[in-house]
Amino acid sequence: MTVPGSWVEAVVAAGAVPASHIPEASLGRGDVDEFIGADPVEGGELRVEPLSDARPLAPAAVCFLDGIEQWRVVGYGGITPIVRAHAAAAIRRRGPERRLRTVAEATAEVAITRLDRLPAGVRRALEGAGVRVLEFPAEEAGQPARALAAVRVEVQRTRTALERRLGEAWLRALAAEEWLVVDGVLSDSAALSEHPRALGVVKSHGAQYFEGAELERALTLADGHRTGVFRPKARGARRDIYSWYVRLWPWEGNDLLYGLLRLEARAHPETIALASPIAAWIRAERAPVATPDRRWDRLLYPIHDVETYLRARAPRDLTPLPASRLPRTAS
Amino acid sequence: MIERPDPASPPPPPPLAPPIGRVVATEQKPATPHQFHFWTANETSIGIGAIVRVEEPGNGKGETGKVVYGVVTDGFAYSDLATPLHDVVGAEGDPAKAAERPTVRQEIRLWTAAVLRQTPEEPLQPVPLGQVHVATDVDVAQALRMDAYLGGAQPTAIPVGLYTSGGLEAPVYVDADFLLGPEAAHLNISGVSGLATKTSAVEFLLSSIFQHFPPHKGRVAAVCFNVKGPDLCFLDRPGTLDDEDRRRYQRLGVAPEPFQQVRYFAPFKADGVNLNTLRTHPDLVGDVEPLVWGLREVLDYAEVLLNRDDIDAKADAFIDFLADRVVDKEFEDGFGGVHRVVTFADLERLFRSIFDGLELAGRGGGDSWRTHHIATMRKVRNRLANISTRCKGLVTDDGPSNDLPWGRFTDRTVYVVDVANVDPLGQDLVFARVVSQLRERLERRDLGVEAVVVFVDELNKYAPADGPETYVKKMLLDISERGRYLGLVLFGAEQFRSQVHRRVVGNAGTVVFGRMDADELATPGYQVLSPATKIKLATLPIGELMVRHPHFTQPIFVRFPRPAVLRGRDGVERYPPTADLPFEDAVARQLVKLDRRVRPNQVKDVIADRREEDVRRALAHTRQTRPHDALAHFKKQLGGRVAAAPAAARESVPPLNAISDEPY
Repeated sequence: MTVPGSWVEAVVAAGAVPASHIPEASLGRGDVDEFIGADPVEGGELRVEPLSDARPLAPAAVCFLDGIEQWRVVGYGGITPIVRAHAAAAIRRRGPERRLRTVAEATAEVAITRLDRLPAGVRRALEGAGVRVLEFPAEEAGQPARALAAVRVEVQRTRTALERRLGEAWLRALAAEEWLVVDGVLSDSAALSEHPRALGVVKSHGAQYFEGAELERALTLADGHRTGVFRPKARGARRDIYSWYVRLWPWEGNDLLYGLLRLEARAHPETIALASPIAAWIRAERAPVATPDRRWDRLLYPIHDVETYLRARAPRDLTPLPASRLPRTAS
Repeated sequence: MIERPDPASPPPPPPLAPPIGRVVATEQKPATPHQFHFWTANETSIGIGAIVRVEEPGNGKGETGKVVYGVVTDGFAYSDLATPLHDVVGAEGDPAKAAERPTVRQEIRLWTAAVLRQTPEEPLQPVPLGQVHVATDVDVAQALRMDAYLGGAQPTAIPVGLYTSGGLEAPVYVDADFLLGPEAAHLNISGVSGLATKTSAVEFLLSSIFQHFPPHKGRVAAVCFNVKGPDLCFLDRPGTLDDEDRRRYQRLGVAPEPFQQVRYFAPFKADGVNLNTLRTHPDLVGDVEPLVWGLREVLDYAEVLLNRDDIDAKADAFIDFLADRVVDKEFEDGFGGVHRVVTFADLERLFRSIFDGLELAGRGGGDSWRTHHIATMRKVRNRLANISTRCKGLVTDDGPSNDLPWGRFTDRTVYVVDVANVDPLGQDLVFARVVSQLRERLERRDLGVEAVVVFVDELNKYAPADGPETYVKKMLLDISERGRYLGLVLFGAEQFRSQVHRRVVGNAGTVVFGRMDADELATPGYQVLSPATKIKLATLPIGELMVRHPHFTQPIFVRFPRPAVLRGRDGVERYPPTADLPFEDAVARQLVKLDRRVRPNQVKDVIADRREEDVRRALAHTRQTRPHDALAHFKKQLGGRVAAAPAAARESVPPLNAISDEPY
C-alpha cells in the first residue's frame, strides 16, 4: 500500500456519508462476453492434437505475473459513491530449486468517483488528500448500480495497466532461458505480444472464436489434448497473436470449460512449432493443484501463489470480513 | 576462567544480527505473557531448545521496546495444501509424480516458544509482535537470569555445559547457592542406561564444581558410591578426549584433567585379604584402602539390617541396650560371667552365655533376660550374625575396623566407596552409615569440609517411589529436605525418575535429563513438557542434556564434554583387574604396601601354619596402627607360635576274639 487510507477520513470529515460495502465483483473479474472469430494457422481448420508424444518445454526459469484488485465503497457524496481501490501486481520467479520468489511488484491506490457530482466540500477534501482520483463516465453517475459497474471497469483497468507496466518492464530483464507467464491475455501489450518467451494463460472463456463444429471441437477437447493454433481476429487495440486451447483435466462429468485453458503467444511460426511442447508444459503445471481456490481446475499453482502473495500484502480493510451488516447502534 | 561481566562497565551490546523470524498471533494462537509463536524461513538454523530474543519496535521517541527471551518448545510445518486428497489428485495417485511437480508448495515453519524472561519484567504483558533474533552469549545469560550470579563481588557460577543452537555456542552456568545450598540444593539426573551418560555428566559436573566452587563458600568434597562395575574406579586417571572436547572445556573455563585427589575405599572379599573391587591392577591397587567395620560400626546402624517385619519396639530396645550397656564395656551377664564385648565374636559368646544361663536357670522358669524376651534376643542375634555372614569382608567378626577419614576430609577430594560387589544388605549398611556420619559431622562442623556432594546411582533402588519405608529411604528423604542447610548435597541418578520417591526428586533444585525412555516420558511427571521436547529427550544424542535449574524458567538443552577421567570400561581394559591372590601372597602384598622393606617370603614364613583368622586380625591391627616396622608389629600381633604337642601313643588292647582273615 503506497498511500495511507487517511484520505477516506478526510472526505468523511468533509461531509461524505461513511459507507462500508465491498461488492462481490471486487473479489475477481467476471468473463466478458464478446465474439471475435479466429483463423486457424495450423492446418486449414481447427484441429485437435494429442499431447501424449509431446516433450514438455522445460524452461530453466519461469516468471509468473498476476495482479489483484480490491475495492470498497468508503463513502457517498449525495448518491455518488466514493470508492477506495487497491490494485497490485507481482512477478514471482521459479528457478531450478522450484520455489517461487518475488522479483518485482507494484501497487496502486486510487479513489474512484465522479467529482462533479460530489458536494463542494467533499470534492475539495478529496482533491487535497493526495490520492490519485479516477472518474467514471458522467453518463454512469446517478443510478448507484450503474455507477458501481462503471467503478468496477475502472478498477480493472487500473489493475491491467499495472500488470502490463510491470510485465513490460520485466521483459527487459528476462534472461535468455527464462519465460514470462502472464495470467490473462498478451494482446493488450505490444511488447508482451511480440516477445518470443512470453505466454498468456487465459482461463476465462467469454470470448468466442469459433462457431459450429469448430466451437464444439474446441470446447469438448479431451484431457491431454490441444487444439491447433489459431489467430484471433484483431479487435480494437489488440495485437496480432497466436492462440490455442489445452485441456488440463477431463471435463466429462463436470463442465465444458472445466480444466480448459487458452494460451497466447507471439504470432510467429516458431510458436506453431512450440505449441505442443508449451501445452505439455502447462499441463504439467496442473500439480500442485491450486486448491482451495474454486478455479483450481484452470488456475496454475504459481499464478495462485502470486495471488496469495498479493492478497497477503493487501490492505486488510479491503478484505471482506464475515461480519454482520446490522445497523450500528452508536454514531 | 569464566569471563565474568563487570557491572561497572558492561560490554557494549553486539551488533544485532538480521532477524530470523517474526512473532505472529492469531485468535487461535495468541501471544501470551508466557508463550508466543513465530515463523521463520524454511531453511533455518533454530530448532527445539533454541533460545531466541524478541524485540518490540521502539515507540519512535527514542525509547526501546520490551525485549522478550524465549526457548523454542515446539515446531510446526505445513503447506497451503487444503487436504491430502488434493496432493493425490495432483500426482494422479503416483507418489513418484508428486516429486516431479514443477513448483514446490508454499510451506511454513511455525514455532512455539516459552517465555524465559521479559525486560522490563513489569508490567507483565503478552509478547509483542516483533522481530525474532537468535540469542547471543549475552542474551543467553540474560534469558537464563545468569547475570545475577555470574558477576558481582562473589560470583557463584558453576559451568554446566554449552548451549548450542544456530551456530551459536554459549556457556550455561548454574548457581552454586542453588546447586550446593543453602538456597536450594541437590541434583537429580535421569535417563536410560548407556545413552544418557549420567555418570559422565556427574563426573564432569564434579570436576567443574571443584574448579569453580566459590572460595567464600569454603571447602568441598565428594563421596561417590560405586554401585555397579568399574564406573567410578578410575577418577584419577586421564581419559581420552578429542579436540572438540578440549574446545568445549576451554569454552567452559574448566581444565580438562582428572581429579587430583581421589581416595578409594573397598571392603575385602570373604577371604578377608583380597579387596572386593575392580581396581586391583598392581599399579593401582595400592591406592585402595580397605573398608572394614566391626561390631560398633554395625550396631549403630542395626536398624538398616532389620526388615519391615522385624521393626518393633522390643528389637529396637534390645539393640539400644547392647549399644549403650554392653559394647565396649565390662558387662556381667547375670549368670556369673563377665564379658567385654568388642567384636562379633565377643557378642556371640555373650549370647551363648545368656542362652545357656537361661536354659539352666529357667528349667520351668522364665524366658526373659533383663526384661528382654528370649525370642527378641534370638532375632537380633540372627540378624547380626546374618550381616557378618553375608557381608564377610566388610564386616569383621574379629579385629579392628578401617573407615573413611572422618574429621579429616580434605578440600576438593573425591572419596569413592566401592560397594559394587557387596551384598545389597551390605550396600544399604555402607550407604546408611557413611551418609549418617556425613550428616552428623556436617552438623557438628567437624568433617573437615563445609560441603559434601554425595553421588548415588540407582536411586530408584534406595528411595523407590513405592515399597517399604526403609531406613535408607528415610535417610535420603531427610537429606533431600534438610541437607541444603548442612552442606550435604545429594547427586542422585536413576533410569526412571518416576520410580523414585517424589519428595527425593522434588527436592532436587537442579534436574538433569539425558536420553529418556519413551514410556517414562509418558508418565504424568513429564506432562509439562511439549511433545516436541519429549521427542527431543527420547532421541537426545550422547553428551547432550536437558537442565532445569531454579534460575531457568524453562528447561535448557546443553552439551558437555566427555569427562577427563578414564571411563570405567576403558579403565578395566587398560588396567585389567588381577585374579585373587592366594592368602599368603595377599597378606604379603598388604604388608609390603605398609612397609616397603618387608620381603614377601619373610611374611610367608611367618604365617605358615597359622590360623587365617589370627593372621587377619594381626594384619588389620598392623594396618590400623601403621607402625614403622610393619613386619615386627605384625609378628607381635600374631603372637608366638604354639608348638603342637605330639599325641600320646595309645596302649592297644587286644581283641577278645582273634580277627579272622575273612574280610566280610
